[in-house]
Amino acid sequence: MNSRRLLIVLAIILVAAGVLMESSLFIVDQTESALVLQFGQPRREVRTPGLWVKRPFVENVVLYDNRVLDFEPPHEEIIVSDQKRLVVDSYTRYRIINPLLFYQTVGSEAGVRARLAALVSGSLRRVLGNVTLSDILSVKRAAIMRQIRDEVAAEAKGFGIELVDVRLRRADLPEENSQAVYARMVSEREQQARQYRGEGAEAAQTVRANAERERTVILAEAQRDGQRVRGDGDAQAVKIYADAFGQDKEFFAFYRSLQAYRTSLNGHDTSFVLSPDSFFFRYFNALPGKSGAAAAPATPAR
Amino acid sequence: MLRRGQDRFRRLLPGGHGTGIVIAIVAVAVLWLASGFYRVQPDEVGVVLRFGAYNRKTEPGLNYHLPAPIESALTPSVTRVNRTEIGYRSGEAPSTRTGSLQQPQEALMLTGDENIVDINFSVFWVIKDAQRYLFNIRAPEATVKSAAESAMREIVGETQIAQALAEGRGKIETETSHLLQSILDSYGAGIEVTQVQLAKVDPPAPVIDAFRDVQRALADRERLRNEAEAYRNDILPKARGAGTQTRQDADAYRSEIVARSQGDADRFSAVYKAYKASEDVTALRLYIETVEEILKSGNKIIIDKSVGGQNGVLPYLPLPSLPGVTPPAAAQSPAGTGSK
Repeated sequence: MNSRRLLIVLAIILVAAGVLMESSLFIVDQTESALVLQFGQPRREVRTPGLWVKRPFVENVVLYDNRVLDFEPPHEEIIVSDQKRLVVDSYTRYRIINPLLFYQTVGSEAGVRARLAALVSGSLRRVLGNVTLSDILSVKRAAIMRQIRDEVAAEAKGFGIELVDVRLRRADLPEENSQAVYARMVSEREQQARQYRGEGAEAAQTVRANAERERTVILAEAQRDGQRVRGDGDAQAVKIYADAFGQDKEFFAFYRSLQAYRTSLNGHDTSFVLSPDSFFFRYFNALPGKSGAAAAPATPAR
Repeated sequence: MLRRGQDRFRRLLPGGHGTGIVIAIVAVAVLWLASGFYRVQPDEVGVVLRFGAYNRKTEPGLNYHLPAPIESALTPSVTRVNRTEIGYRSGEAPSTRTGSLQQPQEALMLTGDENIVDINFSVFWVIKDAQRYLFNIRAPEATVKSAAESAMREIVGETQIAQALAEGRGKIETETSHLLQSILDSYGAGIEVTQVQLAKVDPPAPVIDAFRDVQRALADRERLRNEAEAYRNDILPKARGAGTQTRQDADAYRSEIVARSQGDADRFSAVYKAYKASEDVTALRLYIETVEEILKSGNKIIIDKSVGGQNGVLPYLPLPSLPGVTPPAAAQSPAGTGSK
């Protein structure tokens, strides 16, 4: 009976100690910093991780993440200075460096998100409203992003946060403008394709024309050389004939005529109507010595 | 109620109720202490936290940390290469034709000359510094993705589309990788970007045909040029051949005509020499032989002038019926001389 009461007392003490420990000890994680509040009144900050003691029941602890935190607001449409509309998607990275100030000004992450969304959006509109699309699509983009980050950082300092970065994730044309860009791209490509095909035709025509010219020249030169050679041959022949036949014109005429008769009157397709009085037939009606055979060679049949 | 519970408790444990409680407490304590064993895989590193604060790193193998509320251990994989895909999801949609689900919002971006290009890429990264990775940044994977998108768009925004589609790919990869690394370093993310790999750089789907047609046009240009060269290569050698033929023909003609004329001349000279020896007889012989040969063939009609003169035989010559195309003059003249 006695020992049972002892056990009950022991159990009560254990539970009470547990409750006391629970309410007077707290753990700050490596990724956190803590703000100790007494009835909502900030008492102290704890930035070193580990096991910490607080006054039980009267103090409570708010833990804040001290890592680099992410914030990705929804995309929004912004009109840049050359009146082009852009769908801009940004992301923000920040870190809570002053939990007390953070607690006092925005209170929670949800609170800071709402404030940051307004700040980033305003800064995007201000900065991008003063640059053109071609500025964004150039090496100036980094400087533009730095400017946005610096603007937001200066204002966000009041919330106890350090703005690590604000970057443009996307800066694209809205869908309907994209269609216009596609149409332009298609027309540019068509132009290029036509140019290439035209150049091809040009080159082909040039090569063909050159080739045909060369062919004509080659043939004409060959013709020229050939005619020269033929002429030379003819000239030589003329000279050779002249030299040979010049020895006796009369005999040449006789001899050459006989040759000509032989070749031109040759064959079965020639009909001769002859008179028996001709020189050839002079022995038809006579014996040698009676008619004028001696004069014959000088006057052949024709 | 309490007594009933105690009774049950006593029944469960052998011996006296004092020793039973002690054994139970010891068993719970042993189990509690044993819960501190943990395994670190070969590709991991162990990070032990004591009351939430970083305490020590541990090597792969079986390790021990003080049990639950006091210490805990994290085991990030530090050698595994992580892959973040942007513009597509290779794993999610095996049903699509390409095996990847396109994310046009991520993939379509503006180039420096205000064209739109469709880019898919992967970022490969490893945990360089486990402590920073674990304690310095929240949502590291989302950060890699957002920063990579931002970096890629910044780099592509400085690149012309023609470059991005062709030889500029390597440059885009390395520049994006460097920029992404510097962004992540500025966040103290403890991440090392090992590679940015472009998977696809294409013109957007609505214009891809036009781009392909440019490629075809380039091929056409080459083809037209080659065809013309082929034509040239065909006709020029033929023309040279024809030219050579013409020259050779002319040479042949010259040789022929010279040789023939020399032959003719020599023959004439020879005949002339012989003729000179006995002019009359030779001339007569030549004449008779020639006429003999001519008259050997062909039709011959001999008309006596007495016949022709008295009976009025008309030397009618039916020209069309004459065989061949013998010139009438050649045939008529002997007759003409024959008939007075």
